Amino acid sequence: MSGPNTIDRLRTWISETAGRCIYCGFCESVCPTRPLGPHRGYGPRGRVAMARLVAEGVTPLSNTVVESVYTCLLCAACETKCPVGLPIADIIRAARRLYTLEAGFSAREEKGRVPAIARR
Amino acid sequence: MLDVRSILSILASNIKATGLPVPAPREALYSWSEGLSIPKDGDTLLYTGGLYQLLPYIEVYSSQLAKLEDKRSGGLLLRAAGRFSSLSRIAGAIVRPSKREVEESKRILQSIVRLLDAAGVRVAYRREVDGYSGVLLYDMGLDDDFKKHFAQVARSLAQTGARTIVTVDPHTTHVLRSVARRLGLLPELEVKTYLELLAENIDNINFKKGRAGTAAIHDSCLYARRENVIAQPRLLLERAGYQILEPRRSGRLTYCCGGPIESIAPKLSSRIALARIGELADTGAERIATMCPICLANLKRASRTAGGPPVVDLSLLLAERLEA
Amino acid sequence: MADAIRKLVRRLGPRKVSTDQALVALYAREPSGLQGRAWAVVFPESEDDVRVIARTAYETDTPIYPQGSATSLSGNAVPENGIVVSFERMNRILEVNIIDGNVVVEPGVRLDDLNTVLEREGYMFPVDPASSAVATVGGAINNGAGGLRGAKYGTMREWVLGVNIVLADSEGTLLRLGCRTVKCRQGYDLTRLIVGSEGTLGLVTRAILRIAPLPEDTVYALAFFPGLDSLMGAFTALRRSRINPFMLEFMDSKTVEYASRHLDLPYTPKGDMLLVGIEVNREAAQRVLKDLENLLADHGAERIITAHGVEEARRKHLFTVRKNLFAGQAGLTLDRAGPGRRIRVMIEDIVVPPSRVPEAVKRIRELESKYGLTVFLGGHIGDGNLHPAVGIVEGVDDPQVVEEWFKDVMRIAVQLGGTVSAEHGIGLLKKEGLRYDLESRGSLKALSLMAEIKRVFDPKGLLNPGKLV
Repeated sequence: MSGPNTIDRLRTWISETAGRCIYCGFCESVCPTRPLGPHRGYGPRGRVAMARLVAEGVTPLSNTVVESVYTCLLCAACETKCPVGLPIADIIRAARRLYTLEAGFSAREEKGRVPAIARR
Repeated sequence: MLDVRSILSILASNIKATGLPVPAPREALYSWSEGLSIPKDGDTLLYTGGLYQLLPYIEVYSSQLAKLEDKRSGGLLLRAAGRFSSLSRIAGAIVRPSKREVEESKRILQSIVRLLDAAGVRVAYRREVDGYSGVLLYDMGLDDDFKKHFAQVARSLAQTGARTIVTVDPHTTHVLRSVARRLGLLPELEVKTYLELLAENIDNINFKKGRAGTAAIHDSCLYARRENVIAQPRLLLERAGYQILEPRRSGRLTYCCGGPIESIAPKLSSRIALARIGELADTGAERIATMCPICLANLKRASRTAGGPPVVDLSLLLAERLEA
Repeated sequence: MADAIRKLVRRLGPRKVSTDQALVALYAREPSGLQGRAWAVVFPESEDDVRVIARTAYETDTPIYPQGSATSLSGNAVPENGIVVSFERMNRILEVNIIDGNVVVEPGVRLDDLNTVLEREGYMFPVDPASSAVATVGGAINNGAGGLRGAKYGTMREWVLGVNIVLADSEGTLLRLGCRTVKCRQGYDLTRLIVGSEGTLGLVTRAILRIAPLPEDTVYALAFFPGLDSLMGAFTALRRSRINPFMLEFMDSKTVEYASRHLDLPYTPKGDMLLVGIEVNREAAQRVLKDLENLLADHGAERIITAHGVEEARRKHLFTVRKNLFAGQAGLTLDRAGPGRRIRVMIEDIVVPPSRVPEAVKRIRELESKYGLTVFLGGHIGDGNLHPAVGIVEGVDDPQVVEEWFKDVMRIAVQLGGTVSAEHGIGLLKKEGLRYDLESRGSLKALSLMAEIKRVFDPKGLLNPGKLV
C-alpha cells in the first residue's frame, strides 16, 4: 500500500501545498496551542513551514518537528483565518503520515529499538 | 510531551488486536442497549462509533499517561509498553473505569435513542456491527492502518442493508461522512448525526413547557467547521426551553477543548481546556452543553479544576425536557 | 558564534535557546517574502534575560535580531547571520490603569489580546494594523505601526508614553524612558525616537501605552461612486462638515471588481468605493447616520448601505470587500499561478496628503499598462495612506519588473508631497526609498544623522544590523 512512491508523492504534495503559505501568521491568532506552547512551532504557520522544510529535505524530521506536528489539535480554527485558503489540517496530517512512513512505523510487531523522542 | 512513537505503537497495536483504541471489554460497546427494545433491522441504522462508551476507559488510560509525563522514568516505561504492544499487558489491572462515568455514557446513548424515538425516527441497532471507526489512526497519520481497519467497518455496515447511518459524535460523523467518502470507502450510505435528524423532525418532539435555565454552547470543531452542524443544537436547545448563551468564540469560530492531544501532550491539553472553560464560564450560564464525548471529558475535568459550571452532554439536557 | 551560543545556554539555560534547524528557520522569514538566516533563537522570559542576551552579544560581537510575530512587510524582522531574540514569552499585561489612562505591558503582548482585556473595562488601544490579531506591542512600537483608525487616532507614536529599553553594551544597560503621564518633558524625546526605530537602537522590554475609551456607539456607511471625482467630493464634504470618521477606507473601481469576484454579497459591488465609520453618542446615532447618507447621496453615490453598530455592519457585509484586498490579490495570483507554483503578494505602503489621493490613484493606474501588472489599490483615504498591492508568481513574473514598478510608485508619492512608507517601516525594502525621499527634500544629511544616532546607541552595530540606516 505504501512504497517509496507513496513517500515521494506525499513529499511533493506537502511541498506544493504548504509552499503556498505566505507566512502572514494570521492563523496564529486563533490557534489554541500557539499562546500556550514554547515557540512558533506550536502554531499553524510554524507547523506548515516545518512540514514543507521536511518534505523538501531541507531539514531532517527532528524531535522538534515531530513535537510540532503531533501537538496540533486538527481543530482547523486556523483555516478560518487563512487568506490563501490552505488545507492546514490536511498538511499536518500529511506530515504525520510522512513521519510514520519515514520512521518505518506500522502496527505490525515493533521490532528493534524504539528511539527516544523528546519529552517536555 | 510524551514519546510519540510509543503512543502510536500502542494505539495501532490495540486497534489491531481488539478493534478498539484502548483496552476495554467488547461488551462495553453495547451494554447500554441491554433491556431496550431496538429492532435489529431497518433502513436507518445507529452506529455509535464507540467513543462515548470508551470514554471512561480512555480517561483511566490518559491519567496513566499524564503521570508518565511527569516522571523521568515515564519515558522508559512508556517505551517498554510500546515495545510490548499493549499497555494493558503491563497495566491491565489499572484500566478499571469509574462506574459513574460508565453509567453516564450509557445514559447519554439511551437518551439519544429516546430522543430519536420522540422525534418519530425509527432506528435499528446491531451490537455485532457497532464498533470503533478508527478515527485516531487517521488523525495520527497511520493511514494504512486506518484504511485496513475502516474497510472492515464499511463491509459490516454495508451488510446490514441499511441506507442511512445515524452517528452520535462529531469524530465518527466526520470519518464516515467526509473522510470515508473522500477515500471512496463508503460510497453508498447516507450518514447523518442524530442532531440533524432531531432538528429535521423537531415538530414531532414534545418538550416540556416553560423555561429550563441557561446553557452555554461549546461547539465541536468538526461539527462546526467540517460538518456544518451549528444551527441544529441551537434550535434543539431553544425548543427544549433553554436560554442559550454564546461564549466569546462560538459557531464556526469555536475554540477547541484540547482533547485531541490529550494522549500526546497532556499538560498542554489541560491548559487549553482550562482556557476554554474560562470562556464558557464567562457567559454566566448555569450549565455548559457539549456535543462530543472528547469535549465532554476534557471540559468536565477542567471545570472541576477551575470550579466552573457543570458540563453536560447535549443529549442529556434535551432528554430531561422530554414530556414523560 | 559557537561561543555566543554556549554562553547564552549557560547563562539562560537550554530551555531558552534553540539551535534546531527547523525551528530557527521559522524565525528567519516574514510575509514580505524575504528569507534570512540565523544561528539560533533565544526566548527571553524577563528583562533580566534580555540584559543577559545584550551583554553576551556585546561580549561576543554577535548580531541580534529582535522579533515579535514577524508580520512585518518591509524586511524589518529578517535576520542575517546572528541570533533572533523572540519576545513571545514576555507576554504579560502588567497593569491596566483606567484612571491614569494607561497600561503597562511586556513587548510580546498581541494587540488584539490587549484589546480583549481592555474591552471589559470599556477601553481600547486604538492602533489597529491589519495584522493586529498577531502583531505584538513590541513589534508595533518598533515598526511605528498604524492602522484603519489612523485618520482619527494616528499611529503608535501618539500612543506610546514610555518604554524600557536594553542597550547592547557591556552591561546590558536598562533604561526607563518616558512617563506614565501624557505631559512629560525629559529632554530629548527618546521614547519617540525608539518608536519606529525597528530594533536598531535598543531592545524594547516594556511599554507604557495610552488607552482610549470605547465609543458609545458607531455608525457605518458603504458607498459606491461613479468616479473618483465624486468620491473625493464626498470626502471633502465630510471634512467640511466637521465629522471626524475613525474609519475612511477606499478602493478604486477596478480593485472593487477584482476583490469582489468570488464574493457573495447582498449588494452590487460596482464603482469607486468609500467606507465610512463614525463614533457617536448613542442619542446621536440615527441623526448622524441620516446626515451621512444624505451627504453621500448628494455627492453622487449610487449605492449606499448603512449600518448602526459594528454587528450590523458585519452582517450586511460592509467590510467584506475592503477586507478582501489581500486575499483577493492572493486568489487572483494563485489562479494565474496554477498548481505547484508559489506566489508572493507585495503590499506597498505609500502616503500622500489626502487631497492628492485622486491624482495618486490616476498615476498609479497609468503605471499598470507600463508594467503589465494587476494592481490592487486600496487604502486609508482619511490619512492619505495607500496600499497598492501586486502578486508575483515565482518562476513566472520578473521580480525586477515589480521592483521597478515600486520605485515609480514611490516617486509618485514623494512628488505629490508624501513619502515612501506610512506604517510598514523601512526595513530592507525601503532603504533606497528613504534615501530618495530625503534627497528630494534636500535633506540627505538627515540620513547621516541617523547613522550617528545609531552609533551612539549601539556602538558595535549589533542591533538589527542592515535595517533602516
